[in-house]
Amino acid sequence: MLEMHGISKIYRTDLIETHALRDFSLKVGDGEFVAVTGPSGSGKTTFMNVAGLLENFDTGSYRLDGEDVSRLSDEARSKLRNEKIGFIFQSFNLIPDLDVFDNVDVPLRYRRLTKKDREQRIRSALDVVGLSSRMHHMPSQLSGGQQQRAAIARALAGDPRFLLADEPTGNVDSLMARQVMDLLEQINEMGTTVIMVTHDPELARRAHRNVHIVDGQISDFKPYEPRDESLLSSGAAASPMAMSPA
Amino acid sequence: MFGYYLQLAFRNLRRNPGLTALMIGAVALGIAVCVMTLTMYRAMSGNPIWWKNDVLYAVTLDSWDPKDPYNEDRPELAPWQLTYRDATALMESDIPKRKVIMHKSIGVLALDGQSIKPERALTRVTTSDFFSSFDVPFKYGGGWAASADRGPEPVIVLSEKMNNKFFNGENSVGRRIHWDDRVFRIVGVLDHWLPLPVFYDVNNGSLEEPEDVYIPFGWSVALELNSAGNTQGWKPEDITTYQEFLASETIWIQMWVELPDAASQQRFQAFIDNYASRQKQAGRFQRPLNNRLTKVDQWLIDNEVVENDDRVLVGLAFAFLAVCLLNTVGLLLAKFLNNAAITGVRRALGASRRQVFFQHLVEVGVISSIGALLGLAIGGLFLMGLRALYAIDPTDAGGTQALAHVDVTSVVTALALALFATLAAGLYPAWRIGRIPPAIYLKAQ
Amino acid sequence: MTAWNLRPIASALWRNRTGAMLVAIQIAIGLAVLVNAVYVVKQRVDKINRPNGMDVENMIVVASAGFAKDFDYEASWREDLAVIRGLPGVKAASLVSNIPLSGGGSSSGYQAEPGEINPETVVEANTFAVDEQGVAALGITLSAGRAFEAHEIIPQREAEGDWETAPQAIVTQALAKALFPKDRDALGKTFYDGLNEPITIVGIIENMHGSWVGWDKVDQVMLFPRIKKAPNAVYLVRTEPGRRDAIMRTIEERLGTSNPGRLLRWVRPLTYFERQSYLNDRNMAIFLVSVTSALLAITALGIFGLATFNVSTRIRQIGTRRAVGARKLDIVRHFLVENWMVTTAGIVAGCGAALGVGYWISVEYELPRLDLYYLVGGVLGIWLIGIFAALQPARRASAISPAVASRTV
Repeated sequence: MLEMHGISKIYRTDLIETHALRDFSLKVGDGEFVAVTGPSGSGKTTFMNVAGLLENFDTGSYRLDGEDVSRLSDEARSKLRNEKIGFIFQSFNLIPDLDVFDNVDVPLRYRRLTKKDREQRIRSALDVVGLSSRMHHMPSQLSGGQQQRAAIARALAGDPRFLLADEPTGNVDSLMARQVMDLLEQINEMGTTVIMVTHDPELARRAHRNVHIVDGQISDFKPYEPRDESLLSSGAAASPMAMSPA
Repeated sequence: MFGYYLQLAFRNLRRNPGLTALMIGAVALGIAVCVMTLTMYRAMSGNPIWWKNDVLYAVTLDSWDPKDPYNEDRPELAPWQLTYRDATALMESDIPKRKVIMHKSIGVLALDGQSIKPERALTRVTTSDFFSSFDVPFKYGGGWAASADRGPEPVIVLSEKMNNKFFNGENSVGRRIHWDDRVFRIVGVLDHWLPLPVFYDVNNGSLEEPEDVYIPFGWSVALELNSAGNTQGWKPEDITTYQEFLASETIWIQMWVELPDAASQQRFQAFIDNYASRQKQAGRFQRPLNNRLTKVDQWLIDNEVVENDDRVLVGLAFAFLAVCLLNTVGLLLAKFLNNAAITGVRRALGASRRQVFFQHLVEVGVISSIGALLGLAIGGLFLMGLRALYAIDPTDAGGTQALAHVDVTSVVTALALALFATLAAGLYPAWRIGRIPPAIYLKAQ
Repeated sequence: MTAWNLRPIASALWRNRTGAMLVAIQIAIGLAVLVNAVYVVKQRVDKINRPNGMDVENMIVVASAGFAKDFDYEASWREDLAVIRGLPGVKAASLVSNIPLSGGGSSSGYQAEPGEINPETVVEANTFAVDEQGVAALGITLSAGRAFEAHEIIPQREAEGDWETAPQAIVTQALAKALFPKDRDALGKTFYDGLNEPITIVGIIENMHGSWVGWDKVDQVMLFPRIKKAPNAVYLVRTEPGRRDAIMRTIEERLGTSNPGRLLRWVRPLTYFERQSYLNDRNMAIFLVSVTSALLAITALGIFGLATFNVSTRIRQIGTRRAVGARKLDIVRHFLVENWMVTTAGIVAGCGAALGVGYWISVEYELPRLDLYYLVGGVLGIWLIGIFAALQPARRASAISPAVASRTV
């Protein structure tokens, strides 16, 4: 589903050239749960930005569902982000003056769905994350864990090809952290691919596969024991968001 | 999508009511000042008979002092008015389609029975073509025939205001009224008429209303009337009788002609040049020949109807609007950039640059629409305040009517100006916010 | 000077220059407007406050229009003036051919030598025909000579030209000087009108303004003793201080219906006409003051807004500065300096505009050139406004806790 091959990204200022990613390659198949790990400054963030189509890269190729994304216009990239990627940020990034329902609604609005369509998707997503009872609460009225769950619902609502999570439990206390990870596993078991960037070994252990980045490159060093490397699902699995035609 | 953007815009504006109020207020104030100043400017400088601008001409001859031009600052201009001799002589020509000679006077209007207090009426003493030349609208009746000028017949046309005062607005055609203790028969009543400025006679300023009543030109001689406007003469003449006054070099008559095409214009120009040459031979018109036919728009410019004060005020109004808009742009920019984090999230979730741009443009549009409408309302209030500033005597509405007269064109222009200006001002901030790449704001430190 | 950190502040400002530039342009416009508004307003106020030589506050003008077919003009005004002069509190009342300060009047050309009028040397005068109480009714001060005597007043004649004046005249000092520039005392001298009739100066007025306040020769006034022929009469009445309004009412009552052949058009204080004549100047001054104040207020708000925004985006940076040793005063100074740079940039840009507009005004209005004092004052004023507008945000910045530096969220 996701194929990065020989990706390089160089940040240039007047004085310094930083090779954030060097010759980075990664393949992720449908239904995988991949953890991308590494020390700070290793290039994890850059990998996430590139994978999430938030930034462009200098050399190499990136194919998403077979489509080459390197020369796309801003319109096309935005559309791809909207339809295929579900972001989960470390600091949740919910919009403070919209309630939970409207927050989950945001990516759907850029898609030209009918009102009924959107409502159905939102309700389903909130159901999966267990926040249906707090649909009209404001983010400030939710705990950290609940906010992250709302963000996950937002990521799910658009039926993405994969979730891209950046330190999903970084701003959440340990009890809630477990809940969030349980949720991510559950979603993955229902068939959604998850790519998670983290430096936490506990989290990395819960993924099927670990990819370790050091100095912008994949390292063979595997500091953590993943759960089960051989657990690779094949082909299209049922997505939790599958719906019958309206 | 527009509906969604509208929702977001209102939500955003509500979030910081002080800032929103400041932006809308600044826009509204800038628009209001512009509306007020431009209305005033237009009242004094517009061409109220623009549809006849190519056929109406003011007639001037240079009969002035050979040693001293009439207008020291602009010696190439002839005096604004004609002598009685010259005006009546030029009226002999049958070249113009219509021709008018006239002057201002004052008479006391009174009605038999004394139940209504007599009123001092500003009077236009004019030949019959006045009404058709200047497209003066009638509510009842009409003007008089050319023969009435010769008589002169005791006929009179009332303005709407005078008819309201003496006859309660009814159809008074056929009734009688006293003008300076002489009986006149009403043949016409004008509809509401307010040409801005009163272009056919700007000798005494431009913020005036047209006259209260109109009587045929022949009454000047019959009643030995003097002009209530400007009377000027360059030559020291011993004038002791009215006849001597009529024959003198004193200028006090205005003349206008209607020449429908270039041919008639050339022929009439030749006619007056010819006349002036013959007068020169007879010893008059010692200055170089300078006989002009001036169209209304040029007439208003020559007469300097728009004064420096007006220009300064218009300049000031636009400077003020500029400051208001710059202020709003600055505030919008700050506001949008301050919310860059949220915009970054939307971008990450799939909003393209164009969608972000349009979203913010809608927000700008809301501010500019509210600001524009508010500005128009405040501008209207300002204009009313202007009337108060200009009205010294509440019973003497006079030119203040001109100021409060806001017509449809002005309103539409002002509204368009407001919307366009503020939208343009908001383009830059909306564009800027769209340009920011999403990645930068996600790891907001 | 290094403690002021000018260079780093300037380069930081340059990197985020859009907001600053917007404010700078507003300031430039504000300076140009402020300087010229003060310039023009001062001119207008000076013009309005010129002494006109008359006792304006206590003067009433009465207008009568005779319209009956056989209206006896002379009987009418004799009767009216007798009534008015007999009222308690009335100091003097006179017939007058035109109303001073009203924008309407007569003027003619005169010269010191007989002969044809020479346009190079002709002296223009604003003329008023008055009766023997004219000088008293106007409330003017004579610096030499005397008022007219009753026997000098020429009664109205059947046939009369507009040009005719009288063999005697009372002129203002300005007019005397214009006619006889070399003579220190023009009393008793003779000058000539357009018909070569001689006129002797029997009195000299210290100062008086005529009909047209906008005329550069408004103080060249000539009074002459004559009753002009007309069915319309204008009376000038001077009252004791404080009694003007009551006497106005009395005149309206007494004269309103006393003669059915004439219409008492109005009874107005002279201040009415004075106000009307100076209306444009007064309103112009009001507009200028209002719009300029509003403009400066909005600019100040803009400066305030920009400063506040700058503070809010740099909370962490400010906290860090405090954490490494900056005092509150240093923070305040930082923001004031930053603001001062923007203001100064705007001022520099605005100086050119201010002088340019000032030049245009002085040419179009034929006024003396814009004094540099105005520019200096304007610059100081704008600087002060800038500082005051940025003060509160700067103080708020200094209140940010150093602990902010160590927070991660």
